[in-house]
Amino acid sequence: MKYDVLIAGGGLSGLTAGIRLQKEGMKCAIVSSGQNAMHFSSGSFDILNRMPDGRMVSGPASEIDNLPAYHPYRIIGKDNTVRLFNEIKPFFAGCGIGLTGSVEKNSYRLTPTGDFRPTGLALDDFVLLETKNGSCSRKVMIVNIFGYLDFNTKFIADALERNGMECGICSVRLEEIERLRKNPSEMRSTNISRVLDDDGICGKFADEVNKLLKDEECVVLPAVFGLKNPGIVDVLRDKVKAKVHFVATMPPSVPGIRTQMRLKHVFEEAGGRMFNGDTIVSAKCSGHRVESVFTGNFGDMELKADNYILATGSFFSKGLVSTPDSIYEPLFGIDLLCGESRAEWNNLQFFSKQNYIGYGASVTGNLQALKNGEAFDNLYVIGSVLGGANTLYEGCGAGVAIVTAMRVAEIIAEKQGE
Amino acid sequence: MDKFNSSDDFDVIIVGGGVTGAGTARDCAMRGLRVLLVERLDIATGATGRNHGLLHSGARYAVTDKESAEECIKENMILRKIARHCVEETGGLFISLPEDDLSYQKKFVDACLAAGIKAEVIDPEEARRLEPSVNPLLTGAVKVPDGSVDPFRLTSANVMDAKSMGAKILVYSELVDFIVDKDRVCGIRVYNHVTKAYEEYHAPITVNAAGIWGHGIAMKAGIKINMFPAKGSLLVFGHRVNNVVLNRCRKPANADILVPGDTICVIGTTSSRIPYDEIDNMYVTPDEVDLLLSEGEKLSPLLSSTRILRAYAGVRPLVASDDDPSGRNISRGIVLFDHESRDGMKGLITITGGKLMTYRLMAEWTADLVCKKLGVDKKCRTMDVPLPGSKAESVEEISRKTWVKPTSGQKATAGRHGDMVSRIRQDNEYDSSLVCECEEVTVGEVEYAFNELDVHNLVDLRRRTRVGMGTCQGELCACRVAGMMAQAHACSRKAKENLKSFLNERWKGMYPVAWGDTLRENEYSQWVYSGVCGLETKED
Repeated sequence: MKYDVLIAGGGLSGLTAGIRLQKEGMKCAIVSSGQNAMHFSSGSFDILNRMPDGRMVSGPASEIDNLPAYHPYRIIGKDNTVRLFNEIKPFFAGCGIGLTGSVEKNSYRLTPTGDFRPTGLALDDFVLLETKNGSCSRKVMIVNIFGYLDFNTKFIADALERNGMECGICSVRLEEIERLRKNPSEMRSTNISRVLDDDGICGKFADEVNKLLKDEECVVLPAVFGLKNPGIVDVLRDKVKAKVHFVATMPPSVPGIRTQMRLKHVFEEAGGRMFNGDTIVSAKCSGHRVESVFTGNFGDMELKADNYILATGSFFSKGLVSTPDSIYEPLFGIDLLCGESRAEWNNLQFFSKQNYIGYGASVTGNLQALKNGEAFDNLYVIGSVLGGANTLYEGCGAGVAIVTAMRVAEIIAEKQGE
Repeated sequence: MDKFNSSDDFDVIIVGGGVTGAGTARDCAMRGLRVLLVERLDIATGATGRNHGLLHSGARYAVTDKESAEECIKENMILRKIARHCVEETGGLFISLPEDDLSYQKKFVDACLAAGIKAEVIDPEEARRLEPSVNPLLTGAVKVPDGSVDPFRLTSANVMDAKSMGAKILVYSELVDFIVDKDRVCGIRVYNHVTKAYEEYHAPITVNAAGIWGHGIAMKAGIKINMFPAKGSLLVFGHRVNNVVLNRCRKPANADILVPGDTICVIGTTSSRIPYDEIDNMYVTPDEVDLLLSEGEKLSPLLSSTRILRAYAGVRPLVASDDDPSGRNISRGIVLFDHESRDGMKGLITITGGKLMTYRLMAEWTADLVCKKLGVDKKCRTMDVPLPGSKAESVEEISRKTWVKPTSGQKATAGRHGDMVSRIRQDNEYDSSLVCECEEVTVGEVEYAFNELDVHNLVDLRRRTRVGMGTCQGELCACRVAGMMAQAHACSRKAKENLKSFLNERWKGMYPVAWGDTLRENEYSQWVYSGVCGLETKED
């Protein structure tokens, strides 16, 4: 099987690259093991919240040049980075995914533990506040689904009350959801969402919410709506007699999974090929070129492409592997930016900056992978398998994933056009 | 009781909420004494909760220390009876490997039999059948009545029983100093970390049962006990590799015991002397991890491919005999000091040394001495009276009686709480929803622990219910429980602080082994709690 571009990894970065390339008329395939970071996402798209030295960022663009030279934003260059920042919203809109917020100025989102964390963009299910002390209405009713333990109403209520809002807490019991309890571990976001995807059941839910409302202007709900039926969010907004806002739940993330499914759908609709539930297990290289790759499912049958994109994610997604004394990239053994010994990887304080999260591939200015200091002609690296950015600490995970994907798509398209 | 000084609040005060202190509180309460137990943290936080959880048959000590071996096998048989719900009768094997001297086996078996331990030589083939994970290269094996014991459950059951007989248990209450009248200790001053107040309690006798911390406690009464902190590190693996306890048939050495317990297994221990001022800040070093792994793989090669959940270390309270200040002849046996005869300080007793296995015997000796001093003529009955949780039938019977067709989760709950399971609410499906999937802990069980088991925070809860002790180490259940706590206490600030401490504590255990899947798990936690939740954000 021969493709123009073969992408390893079907997360945010791999899908973004795939869609862009496919729309440029290239024939792409994505090999995806299944789950990825979007499955536990917050529903927000962080651009750049914090500098490596800890200073908080309010406008990402003006800080790009102050990042270290090995940071992916610097590797792409400020002009490209800022230009591509501005393409994020239109790109997602084109995929049928509405985003709120701005890439120019960070705002705040309310988290499942009732904290306010900065972000650039977020799915438009969510409401963003301009300041940590902001409010969205005077009187709020927080409604949970009875017995759903991954949405803690008290955390949310205390946070909103700190910001001067008056909060009530209620829960709704629906017979259809109660049936999930027959199995004690089934009261989880995605299972609840599957039930609520039904227009009738969701309507009933809205009726129950309305019964609880007195003079509240706004209802806060766990983000467990619209897993496979995104339209259900509008049904709910239409029926509930107050403004409806969602707050992210603990994983799995329904809006995250919905977004990933949507991107996959757009990619396939544009003619892209998904190999789901498969992983690349080895690669054949000659000189500075990748010749072909082998996957678990295809066995001896090789997959060939002119260009390859590595979007395999970080340790959690197995894009990087650690042993007691080393860190390596398992497919190509490419050069990494990483600490020598375990003492450097980790910090004993859980909430301090953990260096290992910033580890990953070292690349050329065109995001080409390197091996022993020499660049591959046709292997590019995007997303969190890239080194140089502590995406968690700096709050730039989604931004790096998307703009490196878009940039590589441009580079490959130009190359193919020549 | 009126023969005691009426100004005394209690007949006896026990300092230390490990298994020894808890056992002593129970024993004294059973003999009709008015008991106060104070513990600076939660119960079972010291060496009690930081060992293998091995129900020794005594075989390990048979060759080198016959007295300890005999004590072990006697207590082993007693615990199977009185603490059935804390014990798992796994059996144990002492295996010889090609590098071990097989002639040691004979000496070992003879010593076991002499100490009253049933030891049976079986051939390697049968050993492999009995325990498929055992190193297939073994050259010999001896079957012994080892088992596993849950020290948290055991301590909790002792506390629960003592309380039911009127004992007062104060956790998070730290001894500040003794109230001394000339040559007599007549009580203690404590700082209560919960109420943030200083409190005074009086009793004619105070028992120092603070394990290694007993060294510092005795100093507060001007008494020197020659203690030697010995650190032992252990690793917890992500699933139950073995079902039978595996030991090496050789002189006791490092990392030669692999114990299965609930859903996991534990390899240990190392042994190293540490300065007394380090006992509150123990970290497992990379060298210790390497040693535990390389030796552990010899018992069961499967360990090399099994995920390590966490590393932890405890400090054994070893005591040098009084005539040996250098500490060269350290005993692992039980040490009971009457400070009246030893140091001229009346009203103070220290119980230390010993092992988890002999806690009951230590408590018996201590309570005997307390009674003698108080002129109370009551016999010890703890060897016959079952602990709460083990009063009724076997776990299997309890499960069947409570639920017609018990699920694996319900069996797990019954295993944790024995007949106390009737106290756990299970009126509806909400009570039965799972908070922790790895260990199958329900909402009802968490609420029971909050209401009845002196749980002050999430780490305490973990000790009572195993919430967060399984494969994911409390990934999401910690947040669920924190949410329940916020609701129960109508306060999210404390619950969130608790959640942060829980995550830090969890990471402290994972840090020494943070590579491979353990690092992946932590990366996930980091993204969830820092990324999605922003839990580290300061509230304005």
